[in-house]
Amino acid sequence: MLILRNISAFYGNIEALRAVDLHVQEGCITTVLGSNGAGKTTMLRAISGLIPTRYGEILYYGRNIAGEPPHRIVRMGISHVPEGRQVFYQLSVRENLELGAYVRSWRKKAEIEKDLDFVYRLFPILGERERQLAGTLSGGEQQMLAIGRALMSRPRLLLLDEPSMGLAPMVIRDIFACLKRLHQEGLTILLVEQDVQIALSISDYAYVLRTGKVVLEGPAEELLKGERIKKIYLGEEF
Amino acid sequence: MGAFFSNLPQYLVNGIGSSCVYILMAMGFSLVYSSTGIINFAQGEFAAISALVAYTLSMDLGLPLLLAVAGALALTGFVGLLLERAVIRPLQGKGTLTAIIATIGASIFLKAGARIIWPEEAYKVPEFTQGQLNLPKASFNAQLLWMLGLTAFTVAAMYLLMNGTKLGKGLRACAINPEAARLVGIDVSLMSMAAFAIAALLGGLAGLVSAPFANYGMGLYLGIKGFTAAVIGGLGDVYGAVLGGITVGLLEEVVAGFLSVVLGVSSGYKDAVAVILLISVLLFRPQGLVGKGLVEKV
Ligand SMILES: Nc1ncnc2c1ncn2[C@@H]1O[C@H](COP(=O)(O)OP(=O)(O)OP(=O)(O)O)[C@@H](O)[C@H]1O
Ligand SMILES: [Mg+2]
Repeated sequence: MLILRNISAFYGNIEALRAVDLHVQEGCITTVLGSNGAGKTTMLRAISGLIPTRYGEILYYGRNIAGEPPHRIVRMGISHVPEGRQVFYQLSVRENLELGAYVRSWRKKAEIEKDLDFVYRLFPILGERERQLAGTLSGGEQQMLAIGRALMSRPRLLLLDEPSMGLAPMVIRDIFACLKRLHQEGLTILLVEQDVQIALSISDYAYVLRTGKVVLEGPAEELLKGERIKKIYLGEEF
Repeated sequence: MGAFFSNLPQYLVNGIGSSCVYILMAMGFSLVYSSTGIINFAQGEFAAISALVAYTLSMDLGLPLLLAVAGALALTGFVGLLLERAVIRPLQGKGTLTAIIATIGASIFLKAGARIIWPEEAYKVPEFTQGQLNLPKASFNAQLLWMLGLTAFTVAAMYLLMNGTKLGKGLRACAINPEAARLVGIDVSLMSMAAFAIAALLGGLAGLVSAPFANYGMGLYLGIKGFTAAVIGGLGDVYGAVLGGITVGLLEEVVAGFLSVVLGVSSGYKDAVAVILLISVLLFRPQGLVGKGLVEKV
């Protein structure tokens, strides 16, 4: 579904992604692990068009989408839940979700209403807080809102940047249970995480990124069993 | 002092007229600032261009007033579009400050251009309605009713645009969080273009209703006062612009009246009122009387 081929991205002269190759299989959860500064966020930003790539191709259903602006990428069915949630603080929960449907025709009110219901069923707390300003939500609720907002564009591929960041273990479990449910309903997910255990527990395939390079990849169970990931991840290797 | 108080109603009536102009200008400043982060120093030029074009169309070419006004607004809107595409867009990614400085350049350029085409010190732009009306303690030109009506209409239209349309929601989203706006699929560059074009129309309308006189330099003081009004209003939504516009418009007339009648100082100092107000607000309440304004939220 999505293939990164030899992708490099720069901030000034700093090469944040170095010739990354990555495959996202349709219908799977693919995870990218890596510690701080590994380039995970950079990779997602490159896919969704927020930053330019210098070399390589991003193939989405066989078509190179590198260099397309974000608003086109969203319309193609790739939705990005950014690091730090980035909800619209001064708007209500409902307004945030409605903005998530920005790329769809607002004349199809019934359809959008149906999707709002879907999000409220997935995250009931959002339904209860419908009129509350997003800025007053707790971290976990904001994360749910960010995911709900991304779903409102009816994506085929969901990019998630560290949804567990700063959340209590119980909330993390809830959110990952929802991700699993979305996956079972047919959504393809590319997840970026630092929480190795929980991420691998729902993933099919995983990559480990380190200083902008893929240093390890494999089926999630294998990585979970293997010792190598701990070493690499904790920085005992290289 | 007695003379000052007996003149007060007249000052207030005059102040209402300027308030309308400043509200329109302030809405232009706020719209561009909140959706792009740019203070557009060429905002005043929109007013000058539209008033001068209206003069040429109606007086030189003899078009009916309505057509002249429509033509002037259309052309000014186009100048706004052009400014965004030719000056702001190419500087994308170079930082907001660069863009702001570029608008100062654009302002100088437009002013100089206007001076070549309209070199006289004053052109008489036709008023929408002639004549004077009298109240018990004050009198005003019939034009004031037009100003009030058009400003009220425009404020309402802007409110509906920002709160009830997809374009408005997109503009507001850009104002709140440009990156999140891009992620939900809003074309931020298109929004920036729309903001400049609408701001140009607002400035153009301000220039038209502030008749009867227009010249190439009028954008400067309209710009300063409109900007002051916008800053007082927090450079955000429509309410702020209205509040700021009224504050500057009324205060300016009343202070000018006080200076000339009570202290015997020339009312030419009137224009200084806005500047002093601007400096005080920036010093003591940079977020404006309402809203978050120039101060970044954490
Ligand atoms: N805007 C920027 N300007 C310059 N360098 C940047 C910028 N953003 C990221 N970098 C650098 O690029 C590298 C990769 O950053 P990135 O944010 O992709 O890491 P990450 O894997 O998402 O880390 P984290 O887990 O902390 O979110 C880092 O070395 C970082 O310092
Ligand atoms: Mg990151």
